[in-house]
Amino acid sequence: MEKIRITVTVNGDRVETDVAPSQTLLEMLRDTLELTGAKEGCGLGACGACTVLLDGKPTRSCIVLAAEVDGAEVVTVEGLAQGEHLHPLQESFMEKGAVQCGFCTPGMIVTAKGLLDRNKNPSKEQIITSMSSNLCRCTGYKKIIEAVEATASSRE
Amino acid sequence: MTDELSVVGKRMKRTDSLAKVTGEALYTADLKLPRMLHAKVLRSPHAHARILNIDAGKALRLPGVKAVVTAADGHGINWGVFKYTQDHPMMAIDRVRYIGEDVAGVAAVDEETALEALDLIEVDYEPLPAVFDPFEAMKEGAPLIHEQYARNINVHVHIDVGDIEEGFAKAYLVKEDTFDAAGEAYSTLEPYAVVAHYHSGYLDLWMPNASAHVRAKALSNLLKLPLNKVRVRHINVGGHFGSRSEVSPGDFVTALLSMKTGRPVKLLLTREENATCTRQVHAINATIKTGVNRDGTITAKQFKVIYDGGAYSSTGPIATSIPYYVYEEAYRLPNVRYDGYRVITNKGIRGMYGCHGRAFLAGNEMQMDTIARELGMDPMEIRLKNGLTAGEQTATGSVIRSGGLEEPIRRAAEKSGWKDIKEDRSLGKGKGMGCIAIMCGFPMGFRSGSACYVKVNDDGQVTVVTGVIDTGMGNESMVIQIAAEVLGVPVEDVNLVNADSEVTNLDPGAYSQAAAFVGANAVKRACEDAKSKILAFAADKLKHPAEDLDLKDRMVVSKTDPAKSVPMRFIVREAFFKGTPITGTGAFMPDIDFQREWVKNPYGQMAGTFSYGCSVAEVCVDRETGQIAVPRFTAAHDCGTPINPMAVEGQIEGSIHQAGMAVLMEETRWSDGHLLNPDLLEYKVPLACDMPHIETVIVCSNDPEGPFGAKEGGLTARMNSYSAVTCAVQSALGVPLTHLPLTPDRLLKAIGAGKTGGEK
Repeated sequence: MEKIRITVTVNGDRVETDVAPSQTLLEMLRDTLELTGAKEGCGLGACGACTVLLDGKPTRSCIVLAAEVDGAEVVTVEGLAQGEHLHPLQESFMEKGAVQCGFCTPGMIVTAKGLLDRNKNPSKEQIITSMSSNLCRCTGYKKIIEAVEATASSRE
Repeated sequence: MTDELSVVGKRMKRTDSLAKVTGEALYTADLKLPRMLHAKVLRSPHAHARILNIDAGKALRLPGVKAVVTAADGHGINWGVFKYTQDHPMMAIDRVRYIGEDVAGVAAVDEETALEALDLIEVDYEPLPAVFDPFEAMKEGAPLIHEQYARNINVHVHIDVGDIEEGFAKAYLVKEDTFDAAGEAYSTLEPYAVVAHYHSGYLDLWMPNASAHVRAKALSNLLKLPLNKVRVRHINVGGHFGSRSEVSPGDFVTALLSMKTGRPVKLLLTREENATCTRQVHAINATIKTGVNRDGTITAKQFKVIYDGGAYSSTGPIATSIPYYVYEEAYRLPNVRYDGYRVITNKGIRGMYGCHGRAFLAGNEMQMDTIARELGMDPMEIRLKNGLTAGEQTATGSVIRSGGLEEPIRRAAEKSGWKDIKEDRSLGKGKGMGCIAIMCGFPMGFRSGSACYVKVNDDGQVTVVTGVIDTGMGNESMVIQIAAEVLGVPVEDVNLVNADSEVTNLDPGAYSQAAAFVGANAVKRACEDAKSKILAFAADKLKHPAEDLDLKDRMVVSKTDPAKSVPMRFIVREAFFKGTPITGTGAFMPDIDFQREWVKNPYGQMAGTFSYGCSVAEVCVDRETGQIAVPRFTAAHDCGTPINPMAVEGQIEGSIHQAGMAVLMEETRWSDGHLLNPDLLEYKVPLACDMPHIETVIVCSNDPEGPFGAKEGGLTARMNSYSAVTCAVQSALGVPLTHLPLTPDRLLKAIGAGKTGGEK
């Protein structure tokens, strides 16, 4: 199958790459760019482990075609820290014990970043609603919600 | 006791969490090795069929295909945990027994080519009659799925203690009920994956597993490779809960493909394959008969439990026993008879989940509430009356060495305000209590124990080598805390090498709740061994008795004379000079009766110790829609001592999700051997918005043998939060609930039945 040349900004870097028409954004990130932070948990957009920011919006990269993101800006979990400095959400997830097996964690943190970017001061209910887009099998979500709440309140 | 400690017992960031929040933590699917091939598996479309012929000629001619393997590439060896359950060839030899069973594997340059090749493999099947229901399978004349299991009964566990006839005869009240529960999916977020790399006669493997050693041993047998040639390597595991305990067909297929091609091979299962073709959870049917005195004391118990085992033995005898054992570890049963039957059916293989048997417990606990109501007792009082206490023995002869049910019950009742929670059937409001005990490690022969090595490096930093594995619960961070505490260094000074079958010594792994009590105990002893050597050197140097020396803040210090101190690294360097570097070894073998055997002799000490827990659920049921809300949930768990309280809380909270909320919605649905809901859209896993307000209580019984008093941290809630919710719903409705999970359709049926003759 003929490949399609796309240009995309990933974690601030401009990337030109050839993608197959059937290749998903997740496959491009993981296989071509070797950014394996986003995970494939279900392959149909149900679990949220593959969540990345696509032009700022939390997006299931397993159900977006790579060819669709030509010209777009993508941020993955690898793009959140500034050098040695972790993003406050990353710090907060560690501090609050919101990480267990860690497979959902990149998608959770990216989803939370999407929320805090569009709503600097969300209520607990808004946090719970937003984070209910992602599955976690280990934590019972309590410490994840607390980690997002703590980050939001520390930014006030 | 934790007041004197500097690291153990403190809330701390888990050491593994940094790599996980940055996305750097590698899981099996993230691995990429030079020249790596990609595998796919051809799976049986039949629930039961004879394989007449497999022709892979066309597939092999497809450009990009490097190898095809079938059972003929193996040695015809059947795997099983026990000699008498060796029935699973890992790739079908001449017969398939469930839809999705592994028939052939393809390795190709990419996944698309491997998938295309699967369509080119020609398999001639002769379909055979299949049976899907365990009761049908046990009938005379039912299709026999394995020749050696008459009436398809795979395992029968029979336990008989005391005299149940007498116990029932003298009882004031006797109740008998039958409960059934659908099977469930573990739904680990990580789908199953394997990377195998055969090179220079060695087979290196990465896969989500619960014990590198158990996995390596099974593969060494199946592949006829010496054990030292099979090396299961450390990798992060995206959830386990019982699902990653034993060798998986994917391990065998991927290993064969790598051995055939001499190249690394990666197999990724889709979510649907993960649900269909890796172990999932048994459905059960339990008949429970209970006799009690007027004061609520249990006089006799009789159980008949049928487990739908799927096509192969899996952990059969253990899975058929554990639900009973966790019950007898919680309650005093003077006379008891248990008959557990695991039945083979033409469905995917079933395994153990979150310890195992929470639906069985729910049946027992709901029946106990019915009895309490008839006797005019509070559900808490009847549990306190029958709960085991430290020093007592279980029915089959396990001594309870610490804890007991009373404190978790009292603490959960106090925190939840049990006495003041209002039940109101007119509003559908109810409360329920669930109790349980969990064995910390169960008998696995010489693998029941753990051994650890530690070395202290020339900069005073520490390397700990242990078989302990972390499948998400925080075991790595736990053993680092213990090493840091014993050796008087900050946690960042401790490096961990673990879960690698070549480098580490034996360890029971992460599937019998043994990591804290057994694995961490060996780590503590190894560090104490190294510490005693450091102190002996320091005593010589400081001219001060070793008994008065200790390790603190990277220093050797006197306990009584602040002037006497020396940096630990100086002592370590001197030890190198003298040709006796500081190393330590330590091992721990729990006090288990090794004469006991799951089927032949199910009596004697089951585990070194037991954890205890009590959960309290508050529910609100909508009688019109059958919807259940759980506004508040309280769980008390006795973990001996929390090594990291934040991690223990996390285990309890996750358990409430995985059991307490699962009972409202989770079930696998089947039609003629087809799993109808293998994905995460149709199989509903609770979300953040489904969770109640959670209160956790950590009970510290300070186990005499546990490391710093510790036992397993949080599994009681993975069992009893399920029963707490069922008991609460039963109290809210006042009708018997015999079919689980409590989906709205089942609930509406129960309400309807209740209106026409249920409890008034």
